[in-house]
Amino acid sequence: MLRLLKYLINRGIVTNKAVPELLDDNITGFPKATDVPCVSECQACTESCPTGAIEITREKSIAIDRGACITCKECIRVCPSGTLINDTSVASFAFTREDLFRPAPAKAETGPDRSIFSKSLAVRVVSTGCSACDLELAAASNPIFDMERFGIHVVASPRFADALVVTGPVPKSMHEPLLSCYEAMSDPKLVIALGTCAISGGVHKNGYTEANGVGPLLPVDIFIPGCPPHPWQIIKGILAARRLNGRIRKEDQG
Amino acid sequence: MKLNLKQLSSEERTARLKAALDAGDRLGLITSIDGDQLIMLLLSPGKRSIDCYETPVAGGTYKSATAMVPQAHWFERTTWDMFGLVPEGHPRLKRTHLHEPYTLTSPPLSHERRKAIEKTIQPESGDRRHAGDRSYHFLGVEGQGVYEIPVGPIHAGIIEPGHFRFSCYGEIILNLEIRLGYVHRGIEKRLSEVPWQRGRFVAEAAASDMPVANSLAHATAVEYLLQIEVPRLALYLRSIALEIERIAMHLSDLGGLAGDIGFLAIASSMGRLRGVALRMGELLSGNRLMRGFICPGGVVSASMRVAEEIAQLARQLKQELKPVVAFYMDNQVAVDRMEGVGVVRSSLAREFGLVGVAARASGDRYDCRNYWNHGAYPNVDLEPANETSGDVFARAKVRISEIETSLKLLINFLDDLKEGSFLVSLPDRLEANSSSVAIVESHRGELIHFIHTDARGEIQRYCIKDASVNNWTALAIAVRNNVVADFPLCNKSFSLSYSGHDL
Ligand code: SF4
Ligand code: SF4
Repeated sequence: MLRLLKYLINRGIVTNKAVPELLDDNITGFPKATDVPCVSECQACTESCPTGAIEITREKSIAIDRGACITCKECIRVCPSGTLINDTSVASFAFTREDLFRPAPAKAETGPDRSIFSKSLAVRVVSTGCSACDLELAAASNPIFDMERFGIHVVASPRFADALVVTGPVPKSMHEPLLSCYEAMSDPKLVIALGTCAISGGVHKNGYTEANGVGPLLPVDIFIPGCPPHPWQIIKGILAARRLNGRIRKEDQG
Repeated sequence: MKLNLKQLSSEERTARLKAALDAGDRLGLITSIDGDQLIMLLLSPGKRSIDCYETPVAGGTYKSATAMVPQAHWFERTTWDMFGLVPEGHPRLKRTHLHEPYTLTSPPLSHERRKAIEKTIQPESGDRRHAGDRSYHFLGVEGQGVYEIPVGPIHAGIIEPGHFRFSCYGEIILNLEIRLGYVHRGIEKRLSEVPWQRGRFVAEAAASDMPVANSLAHATAVEYLLQIEVPRLALYLRSIALEIERIAMHLSDLGGLAGDIGFLAIASSMGRLRGVALRMGELLSGNRLMRGFICPGGVVSASMRVAEEIAQLARQLKQELKPVVAFYMDNQVAVDRMEGVGVVRSSLAREFGLVGVAARASGDRYDCRNYWNHGAYPNVDLEPANETSGDVFARAKVRISEIETSLKLLINFLDDLKEGSFLVSLPDRLEANSSSVAIVESHRGELIHFIHTDARGEIQRYCIKDASVNNWTALAIAVRNNVVADFPLCNKSFSLSYSGHDL
């Protein structure tokens, strides 16, 4: 036992101190449109996208829906003009579905952080997808990322959870279990859609299993896109709950 | 490999299957293409050959093989659920994927003509085989003092959903029934809907703790239908990615096992080491889980520069793993918790066609890397892990030895990389009216992707068989007569995929 303790102490602290603003350059983030003009009439990116996440609007601007993007990098690869680049912002989350169409801020604004969740947030995880999002969420609590130091901890029952984190596209057989888990949580509560599937259904949407994400079932407070999101992006997104001042839903107040 | 569909009459089917298994061959999968036939893949690893049999099914029913060949049971249930084909005489016919909430009146994978027939069948009272009847009944165990513990579908931690129904007497588990299908997202159907060039994104999402294995199986199966040769560099990089994935997942499973024992120092050390493995994947592909790295025709990017860095990390991992494994395996308390728990006897492993770690912990040496063409295999010399006690401890030891083998392979592959092209351009069309299959040794075991194209060269049927399909039943049997508290340990030692099964 003593040898083990000695070994552990010798390893030192492996945790990264601060949450970075950007991921390493070589990591695949979301595509971002720059000011470099497109080759005229080019539709290469929209044609290459497997989920229809990228669109060239009538005004010739490029709209990218991070909530549908599976970060496959195809669009960047086929872009002949270099208009699209890899954006490694960590603050890729959004509070509304519409905000996912705007580029992620390079630097996250630091809010007042004074909500009832600012010191501690108990999250309950409901997994309904391919489990990669779950792996990255689990990684966010490992010694390297260590989200528990920010007061975020995963709990084993909805009864003592503040936030419901949903991963995966929520196929039909999971509709009812998800709703009953939400019901079992006490107010005030938050819903966090983690991963592109949970936000839009991703590659699964509009199939016979009705796996179209959390949106059709529950009101979502925080959207964390990515397939799967990087642990830093997950931590940044969940930390954003500190800015939500404990919403209490009208229908729940009765 | 490309397959020739051989015709087999329904009378001969069970006998042929039984004879093949008795001769040491393996059952790959049983499924259908569109509900008019049964497809059966029989694998002969020794001969490196695969037989694909097609049996026409008249009237939507056929004679079940389960009573003679128990490992057919799950395939037959799934084929009933997805195609409406009823296996007559199946001892426990229950739905596997489409639960009560589904209001579909016809099976999702059968063709339109069959769907129309299906609709005309009236639900006779008591005939649960009708497509509209989705009720599910757990096996009841009766007797004084016997009680049930229902668990799931949502579990306590960050785990995929599934339902476990324990029938217990005191602390002892008498029976466990596992109900899956909660994360059935319709992957197979989607793979026949999207253009084949985009299929890899869907295939990868089948079970994304193994995106490399799934994208490799997808690419390999598609390449047979395109009749292209993949450059050597790409084959090597694919194998490198697959070994990195295996190392990362085995480390994570060993860590999880330690966590369930309560040995947190090891759990967190394994977590840290897994970080090193993920870093290798990130260097190779830009993504911690290496998603999107493998594509039909090769790999999407290749840099010789990172190879040295990855090799460096692999050597570092090899060094760092030693003390952690020693602390783990020399700890008498930890070993006591694992020994003799959740035993799968080798006869059972054979009877249920177990694959992967669970098979190799019960005396079966089957490792797809030695037999089937994928990545740089089978042209490497690989000594499969082999344990015989079939308990949690054996499965842990298999994982440890496989990490060591994988590190060795990884370093060899990296040393042996030669510059060259890593992607070839692809024809527009898949070969029409053809079938192909790819078999990959994922970290869970044998993963099969089967493709059948129609007359226009479009994918008509895409079938995925994850290693978990073979192994879930073994878990249910292994926990019998163990105490309830040991279930998490057993479960972790098998480390099966819910999403990979549910698709
Ligand atoms: S990176 Fe996102 S937007 Fe670009 S092609 Fe892939 S899914 Fe579409
Ligand atoms: S968003 Fe991607 S990683 Fe997450 S569950 Fe869906 S397919 Fe899996």
